[in-house]
Amino acid sequence: MVAPRQNSTLALIDELLAEQGRLQTPVARFASAHDSGSISSLAARHSSLIPFTTPRPGEQYAFEVELDSCTGCKSCVSACHSLNGLDDGETWRDTGLLVGGDARHPFTQTITTACHHCADPACLNGCPVLAYEKDPVTGIVRHLDDQCIGCSYCVLKCPYDVPKYNARLGIVRKCDMCHGRLAAGEAPACAQACPTQAIRIVTVPVRVNGSIHADTSAFLPGAPDPAYTQPTTRYMTKRGLPPDTAAADSGALRPQPPHWPLVVMLTLLPLAVGCQAVAALPLSRPALLGAPLPVVATGAGVLGLAASVFHLGQPLRAWRIFLGWRKSWLSREALVFAVWLTFSAATLVRQSFAPVAAIAGIAGLFCSAMVYIDTRRSFWRLTQIIPRFFGTALVFGLAGVAPLGGAIMLVAKLAWESHVFRSAGDRASARLLRGPLRRIAGARYLFGITAALLLAVRAANHTSPVGMTLFALLFLALGELMERYLFFRAVDAPKMPGLPAGPVDHGAHHA
Amino acid sequence: MSGSIDATLRARTGPMTRELVLHPADFGLAQVPARLNPAGTAHSVCGYCSTGCSLKVHLDERGEALNLSANPDYPVNLGMACPKGWEALTPLRAPDRATTPLLRNDRGELEPVDWDRALHVFCGRFKEIQAKHGAASVAFLSTGQIMTEEMAFLGALAKFGMGMKHGDGNTRQCMATAVAAYKESLGFDAPPYTYADFEESDVIVLWGSNLCIAHPILWQRVMNNRHSPAIVVVDPRATETAQAATQHVALRPKSDLTLLYGLAHLLIARGAVNRDYIDAHTTGFEAFALFARDFTPERVVTETGLAPATLEKLAATIARGQRVSFWWTMGVNQGHEATRTAQAIINLALMTGNIGRPGTGANSITGQCNAMGSRLYSSTTNLLGGHDYANAAHRGKISRALGVPEEKIPRENSLAYDQILDGIADGAIRGLWIVATNTAHSWINRGRARDLLAQLDFLVVQDMYATTDTAQAADLVLPAAGWGEKEGTFINSERRFGLTTKVARAPGQALSDFRIFQLVAHYWGCGEMFAKWSSPEAAFQLMKACTRGQPCDITGIRDYAHLEAAGGIQWPWTEADEVGAAVPSRPGLAADLADRPENQDGSASRPHLNPLQQRRLFADGRFFTSDGRARFVFEAPRPPPEPPDAEFPFMLLTGRGTSSQWHTQTRTAKSDVLRKLYPAHVYAELHPDDADRLGIAAGDALVIRSRRGAITAAAFVTATIQPGQVFLPMHYAETNLLTHWSVDPYSRQPAYKAAAVAVSRAKA
Repeated sequence: MVAPRQNSTLALIDELLAEQGRLQTPVARFASAHDSGSISSLAARHSSLIPFTTPRPGEQYAFEVELDSCTGCKSCVSACHSLNGLDDGETWRDTGLLVGGDARHPFTQTITTACHHCADPACLNGCPVLAYEKDPVTGIVRHLDDQCIGCSYCVLKCPYDVPKYNARLGIVRKCDMCHGRLAAGEAPACAQACPTQAIRIVTVPVRVNGSIHADTSAFLPGAPDPAYTQPTTRYMTKRGLPPDTAAADSGALRPQPPHWPLVVMLTLLPLAVGCQAVAALPLSRPALLGAPLPVVATGAGVLGLAASVFHLGQPLRAWRIFLGWRKSWLSREALVFAVWLTFSAATLVRQSFAPVAAIAGIAGLFCSAMVYIDTRRSFWRLTQIIPRFFGTALVFGLAGVAPLGGAIMLVAKLAWESHVFRSAGDRASARLLRGPLRRIAGARYLFGITAALLLAVRAANHTSPVGMTLFALLFLALGELMERYLFFRAVDAPKMPGLPAGPVDHGAHHA
Repeated sequence: MSGSIDATLRARTGPMTRELVLHPADFGLAQVPARLNPAGTAHSVCGYCSTGCSLKVHLDERGEALNLSANPDYPVNLGMACPKGWEALTPLRAPDRATTPLLRNDRGELEPVDWDRALHVFCGRFKEIQAKHGAASVAFLSTGQIMTEEMAFLGALAKFGMGMKHGDGNTRQCMATAVAAYKESLGFDAPPYTYADFEESDVIVLWGSNLCIAHPILWQRVMNNRHSPAIVVVDPRATETAQAATQHVALRPKSDLTLLYGLAHLLIARGAVNRDYIDAHTTGFEAFALFARDFTPERVVTETGLAPATLEKLAATIARGQRVSFWWTMGVNQGHEATRTAQAIINLALMTGNIGRPGTGANSITGQCNAMGSRLYSSTTNLLGGHDYANAAHRGKISRALGVPEEKIPRENSLAYDQILDGIADGAIRGLWIVATNTAHSWINRGRARDLLAQLDFLVVQDMYATTDTAQAADLVLPAAGWGEKEGTFINSERRFGLTTKVARAPGQALSDFRIFQLVAHYWGCGEMFAKWSSPEAAFQLMKACTRGQPCDITGIRDYAHLEAAGGIQWPWTEADEVGAAVPSRPGLAADLADRPENQDGSASRPHLNPLQQRRLFADGRFFTSDGRARFVFEAPRPPPEPPDAEFPFMLLTGRGTSSQWHTQTRTAKSDVLRKLYPAHVYAELHPDDADRLGIAAGDALVIRSRRGAITAAAFVTATIQPGQVFLPMHYAETNLLTHWSVDPYSRQPAYKAAAVAVSRAKA
């Protein structure tokens, strides 16, 4: 009696599991039978969300957001994600919160934000391989996914945090205003998914007397200054925004990614340029730890440039990097360093190339600095970057031949770096360095000062062993690596207003 | 650069570009990326909230879901969905899905076992407990998240098959108040409205409802209203909805009942009551009017903290309205005197005659996707189909409808959720079966709830995920298929049955709740009793039979295909209605042809379908009470159970955080997209004056303490909250460590929105 029951029981489990795994195929479904008639009902809705005509010369398409209608459901973000078939977690639209008003009239406003299809797009201007195009008719800033080398420079260039790196593909992707849908008379995914029709596409003027000039008066408080890229998105409101409105995450501390390959590259290349330049001076057989400086320079240059390749998501496409030379400092950096490396290597054969190599190196380092200066981030301003990059070059260059000079140079550099703690424009960076990055920041100064002391001792005592120089250089190199690491992590990256953030790590000063 | 060189140097196309290029698709979908081009579509009602949006699931040729979009042809959502709906498929693919039954072993770890072993242990342990402590010592806690057929099966199986007496659902936490209020006032748990009422009102009063966030697709209907309605939000907080409203009435928390009685007083004083309606269709008004006389504007202003002008304006707005609709949600339902508060709203609608006409009603907006199904079919505190356990005729009817021996049907009502948990404390409840809910996170004062679950002799948790706080406490975990992996019906807030469809395969050995119940019946030895429950659709036919002659009669719904073709069907829909075609044949059933969306834009492409898509109750003024009259129910307000004091000076409010979070986040936290749309860490809204006084800056870590525990949260300094109050979103695990375990005495719904806490800055 028991056995048959047991068998029938197990058969039931199998049957139910099999049933659970069975799906109805589309053909068998009654659901799809009457399913093709709804385009017309959608079309009526779409027509109120997009312009009737394509832009005239001097105009382009733009997003218009009716703030008074947006109540924060955030469907636009997920609809964009789904209808465009983006990867898990990949979103081209973001939402944030503005807060303002006073104790009696509180004000909060959800904002929705995607690519602003700027009149003067920083991503496009910075791209070393011309992977961005601004459509001549619609003004849509499109990204050429198969052209992109995944250098992420546009991520640094865009003040609105729009291009997003896709690790699966090794490239960035971004909002294209659903140009395919627009071409077919459909509204973009975000616009068609908004339950209150708060997002629409409008036509806006972007040229006045032939030069780029978008009306950015309808942009947002709490957002980066629109003068830089001239974003075209218009945020409309009839009830107005209170004067003190700010982003809900304005006080949030956001350490940025370290970009390790760039940290290594931007330590090795100054070292290389510095050593190479010192080697160009009329000295007798300049050397570092017994190795001739030109060899050290060229070796470090090769390693530094090799490191940069690891930063690319699509290194095999990197041969196109010169394409953007007209506008992109990254293209220029690559080109000039290629020239420098050639001449630097040539000095190994003929010393007479050294002055040319030195000039190329200095130019290359200047391009490196401009790559970051051109992002218009306060912490990366010219007066910080030039002393940092060239300071590294000089300290390394002098360490072997004039250790005291190197020590003095290093102390001066450390002092200059600490300017960040006193500058009003660097408040966020200073908070990061005192807060979540405080351990590395402390270590950076400790290593720097130790290296300067060791160099000074080495200078005072010519008989001190090679080990002393080795230690000095080790501390110097680690200190400079940390400085470059903090250079990336502590930058205050601009972005559109975001959500209220979690508890802030204020660091030790509360203790 | 010449064209050919440019073409060589610039890759305008290629595999990566093609990934995203859009192509026109069939099935009314317009443009989709080529790799997601569907071979077909299926409609499925969303499994999160009670709005009941229809999602159009895009299928590959094997019938598996590729993607989804909002269904433009459904009368509920009109082509829209909230982020949870758009992301509805993502939680199915989560790596922490339960894929086999898990049994706690001797070392205290949950260990995979097969279904045979799991069910032997399930039945063995529960039977053992019942043998020792009585049949009623094993109980179940169910949910508003599974299909109606599954709820009906669970209730019937547990009570008639397994001999349990007590079972309740998490709908106790969201809708019990509306049930108790409607039953007593209107004679049946019958939300009277249809969503088109949002579009017809000239005054919309949202009481304790953050519609924009909790039900964004219903806010769409408010925005579609072409009568420039006054939109009044009654809420202590300046929520998203309050800021979008035309009037915000920021009353002191839990002073709602006083305000409602005060409004009744003012409306009576103004003569703004509808005497004809009151005389013809209600009883108890005279006593109520007498009672309301004590609620003078002076008293109301003092107790609610409102400005006299605010109160006056609110009364005037309601008095002036021709079609006033009152809508309430958790701000009412989750209170210490919630039932009376909901009934006070119903009183206002009755006395002004704002019920049964387009754009009117005392309308409870439900929480969960199938809270309405649970209310009528879960056999917890109601017998199947809105019947009464204590009524012999009802028991006989259900016995015949289901073919269950009448003596198997309990004669008394179940304990409520809180009483079942208290029953664990006093040893009356020894075994518990929890289905698709997360008690250890969601129950008020969850620290105690968690401790109580630990005291059980045997705890079974049936869930999609083995990682919920509750599943982690279980002795046995049964892996369940989720929404999208099974079929059945949900009932939405406006009483609409909608169909959900199987479009994905459940992982591993996971089975739909329905199939798990089939297995349990078999192993328990009561398989014969449930032989007719062979599929969800077969169960639906049984459910239909149970509703015959009830206010919720659905005998006119033929089958699932009928539901699909009609765009969902609101109850009641009787056989007589079905035969009578377009003209409503029942009293109390209003129909309005103009409400049919496909007739509005003239683009109707479908044949004329019955029933009409927007129907409301009580058009004839006949209610479901024995005399057909609605009741005025009222009672003197009481202070909240844990008022702030010197040690705990703040009132803690809780509620929904964002539209992208759902309940305890067992599903929404599985979507990377949704996670981007809400703050990652728990945050507390605090008024700037309080922040200044306590030396707190935006983003500071706060310590919030109650008599139950202490948590850390980030300060969100904002005047949307009043001084002396602090708000925590309910989705974060921390929140219910603080809340105070108290319930409304009539609905036994927990009062989540009032606890005394202290706030200070965390030490670094």
